[in-house]
Amino acid sequence: MAHDAMDREELYVTAQLARLEISRDEADRLEKAVFQMLEYFAKMKELDVAGLEPTTQLAQDNRLREDTAADTRDTEPLLTNAPELEDRLIVIPNVL
Amino acid sequence: MEKSDRWRGLFSHPDSLERWQAFARRTDQKVGAFLQFDPTVALADSDTAASGPLAGVPFGVKDLIAVKPFRLTCGSRLLKDFVTPYTATAVQRLQAQGAVAVGKTNLDEFGMGSSTENSALGRTSNPWDLERVAGGSSGGSAAAVAAGILPFALGSDTGGSVRQPAAFCGVYGLKPTYGAVSRYGLTAYASSLDVIGVAAKTVAWAREAFTAMRGIDPRDHSSAEYLPFRRSLSGPLRVGVLPLGKEGSAVPLDPAVERCWARTLKDLPKLGFTLKPVEIPSLEFVVSAYYVIACAEASANLARFDGIRYGARAPEAENPEELVRLSRSRGLGDEVKLRILLGTYVLRSGFQDQYYLRAQRIRTRIRQDFDRAFAEVDLVLLPVFPCPAFRRGDQGMDPFTQKLSDIFTCSANLAGLPAMSFPVGVEANLPVGLQFMAPAFAEELLFEACGTFEKHFPSPDSPLYDPEWKG
Repeated sequence: MAHDAMDREELYVTAQLARLEISRDEADRLEKAVFQMLEYFAKMKELDVAGLEPTTQLAQDNRLREDTAADTRDTEPLLTNAPELEDRLIVIPNVL
Repeated sequence: MEKSDRWRGLFSHPDSLERWQAFARRTDQKVGAFLQFDPTVALADSDTAASGPLAGVPFGVKDLIAVKPFRLTCGSRLLKDFVTPYTATAVQRLQAQGAVAVGKTNLDEFGMGSSTENSALGRTSNPWDLERVAGGSSGGSAAAVAAGILPFALGSDTGGSVRQPAAFCGVYGLKPTYGAVSRYGLTAYASSLDVIGVAAKTVAWAREAFTAMRGIDPRDHSSAEYLPFRRSLSGPLRVGVLPLGKEGSAVPLDPAVERCWARTLKDLPKLGFTLKPVEIPSLEFVVSAYYVIACAEASANLARFDGIRYGARAPEAENPEELVRLSRSRGLGDEVKLRILLGTYVLRSGFQDQYYLRAQRIRTRIRQDFDRAFAEVDLVLLPVFPCPAFRRGDQGMDPFTQKLSDIFTCSANLAGLPAMSFPVGVEANLPVGLQFMAPAFAEELLFEACGTFEKHFPSPDSPLYDPEWKG
């Protein structure tokens, strides 16, 4: 069930979901700030939101474009940013 | 306009160009507005044959916006060596008129902060007082303009990130209507809130830059065709005024801001404006709704930074999962991690109704409140920030209070409305700004109102400002 309180364990679970590794020192630093904000978010409960549709985005209409071929950007400059390359392939550590 | 004419055609006058470059480099050693400054490298992409008023005019670009061949660092360790392969549409449109993007300005990492102190790559000072912050997150852009290095500079505004540093530095700060300026080339932070804006020394420069940038872009499907708002009435502009300071607000106004607020309310009728009280009852909920939405969207947008295709990679990782985790953990700063954690938490299964969905419903209420206000008035006047520029470091403002202080700026982002901060006074040698908000696509009303006030009180020159670049 949803709850307001977040403990240290929950912080680590959230970090894992966010693909972040949080050291003990960092957890000490971040914990207070995270809890403080979550506590502040609870203020939203004071407003009656019954009957209000959520605003998910502000774009005025759903604009579509023609399905036509266009120039693709040159991929070379993109590849030069890769940390490790083998020919035109980006290298990562072994998956298995 | 004499002061501003010296910028035009700067790149075709070798003597002036040299004098200006020397001034810019010397001044920036004190201010630290730029992460990269190289007027010649950028020249190649500008249409130097253009004959419009922007031809040869230098401008700066927040380093969250792509400009080839500069690096696009986002103020982050993770991207400190990332070279962008393309240029943002907004920048391209200025370049097509001959303006020259001379450098990339410092910022809070990924636009997250109110002081530019969250930059991993540089320290920016306020040209009015080098011990104080320039504001943020577009602090480098505002500082460069206030120091007199540039007539205008681009920033991005997700919750006040152009208007607040502009107010801290005594210049104009425009946050356009959501969708009015293409975001192609802007690194996404919170996609339903982000907009590219401009910090400028005069209303005229803000207007020229905005007019060049605005309009639909096939590369950004959230950009809109620019159909200017038309006022139904003629006659004096009606300004809605909030009843400030009546109740115990979470963040009380600093006496300097309070004095400027009171003085401006006296000045506006003399300048031909009509004042009318308005209420925005949802204002006390905007900060919580804003941070829920901004963090949720940030946690999704920043998931792309994985150290695989680009960016700093943790070399010792033994598998792809570890590679992503370690690269992100080392490359990202504390404030960015905090917002990613908050965003991830509020989107976790079971919590969405309580946080994200509720925040989106509150967002609807905020829009309704402003719709109601704009049925009665043409503009709404608000403070920008509860205090003038604060000190750097521990003597400054703690990060939580900085967030609460977004109360006056972030409603424009939640409602998608344009807003413009303008200088109204100098208190104890620090500039103070207020802002007008307007209906969607009513930027012209903002220019008109700020321009009227500018004749009464122009942007004050900071101690570093030198109209001749003599120094």
